[in-house]
Amino acid sequence: MDFRFDIIAEYAPYFFQGLLATIGVSLAGIIFGLILGLFIGLGRMSSKWIVRLPFSWYINFFRGTPLVVQILLVHFGVMPLFFAQPNGLVSLAVSLSLNSAAYVAEIFRAGIQSIDKGQMEAARSLGMTHAQAMRYIILPQALKRMIPPFANEFIVLIKDSSLGMVIAAPEIMYWGKAAAGEYYRVWEPYLTVAFIYLLLTLSLSKLSHYLERKYSTQ
Amino acid sequence: MIDVRQLKKSFGSLQVLKGIDAHIREGEVVVVIGPSGSGKSTFLRCLNLLEDFDEGEIIIDGINLKAKDTNLNKVREEVGMVFQRFNLFPHMTVLNNITLAPMKVRKWPREKAEAKAMELLAKVGLKDKAHAYPDSLSGGQAQRVAIARALAMEPKIMLFDEPTSALDPEMVGEVLSVMKQLANEGMTMVVVTHEMGFAREVGDRVLFMDGGYIIEEGKPEDLFDRPQHERTKAFLSKVL
Repeated sequence: MDFRFDIIAEYAPYFFQGLLATIGVSLAGIIFGLILGLFIGLGRMSSKWIVRLPFSWYINFFRGTPLVVQILLVHFGVMPLFFAQPNGLVSLAVSLSLNSAAYVAEIFRAGIQSIDKGQMEAARSLGMTHAQAMRYIILPQALKRMIPPFANEFIVLIKDSSLGMVIAAPEIMYWGKAAAGEYYRVWEPYLTVAFIYLLLTLSLSKLSHYLERKYSTQ
Repeated sequence: MIDVRQLKKSFGSLQVLKGIDAHIREGEVVVVIGPSGSGKSTFLRCLNLLEDFDEGEIIIDGINLKAKDTNLNKVREEVGMVFQRFNLFPHMTVLNNITLAPMKVRKWPREKAEAKAMELLAKVGLKDKAHAYPDSLSGGQAQRVAIARALAMEPKIMLFDEPTSALDPEMVGEVLSVMKQLANEGMTMVVVTHEMGFAREVGDRVLFMDGGYIIEEGKPEDLFDRPQHERTKAFLSKVL
């Protein structure tokens, strides 16, 4: 079997562009997902059910429906309300952020609730406010436990960014499909794409192992 | 110093405090004894509102805990608490466990907080453990650090919730002796415990609780040697 490296060479600049786009939308999804997810997770833990309700339903919706459907809704439904010409990468980044926020919220909640309630009681008994107890006592301990599930979620997020293909967002998968279409070849473009995703996800899992080790020394 | 009137508290349909009246004077050491489920820990936890109560009132140092304008955090600064399971902060050294609240709540500068912490560690006999992490301590050492941590806020009242119940027997003594020293210095203390020897020796007054009521109270020698109530007699005959 002949393996046509010339196709990969020809598409290399596009794969590189796609790589940057994938990194960009994934980073955006991670960062906005973390911020939004913390907010939703805290809302989800409110003691008042009426406050909890919208946050629970946010999580229900974004965890309970396919990401591909969410991407289509965002790109063809929501974005046109704000932009005349929706940008595929922007739509993809928004969809990934909204989707990962739901999972991040649950990771935050599980992490915070996994800390023994005696820790909060001890902090409050010393006169700390709820916010101080969270900041100095609960979150530092909880964040350590959240590293593995976060790594898991963000690895999934990087791979799921390939769904941007359905709205022609020019990330790695889009260029892989383009190469496959032009030359009617399967192995060269898709193995290249797979290899690039593997590099990204392995880097992230190495980073997670490093953080885990760094924070488990105490 | 502490005034409790008709305190009532339920967990769901189970009423655990059915009307507690108590008055604790400044410098007094009050020991609360009673069988499991008698409500004694809940009573103690109501005193700094770690447990909310349903009816009645608690007045600490002239401040009504349930009044609308009461800043609960301010009250808690004056009421230290020691827990059965220590509840030290595992991600911080012993020293930081002790200095955190004085620095963040009382806004002391680090030097002042650390000087105070070292003084307290010397007092509980653990000066050499300042830079150790809690999981390297024995139970008795951890509980003494917990006492030092509560004292660092310079509270007016100390609450002890079964402070020796989670300890190996040989470590009970070291914690009780720190508490005894504290009592001798005139600290106002409320102690929930099963250590009848401590109650008799250090307590100014003993409250016997059962079924959500204070059944009987008095000086230790009276309550232990001449209990009046049948339930007190039954309880003491089992534990003494």
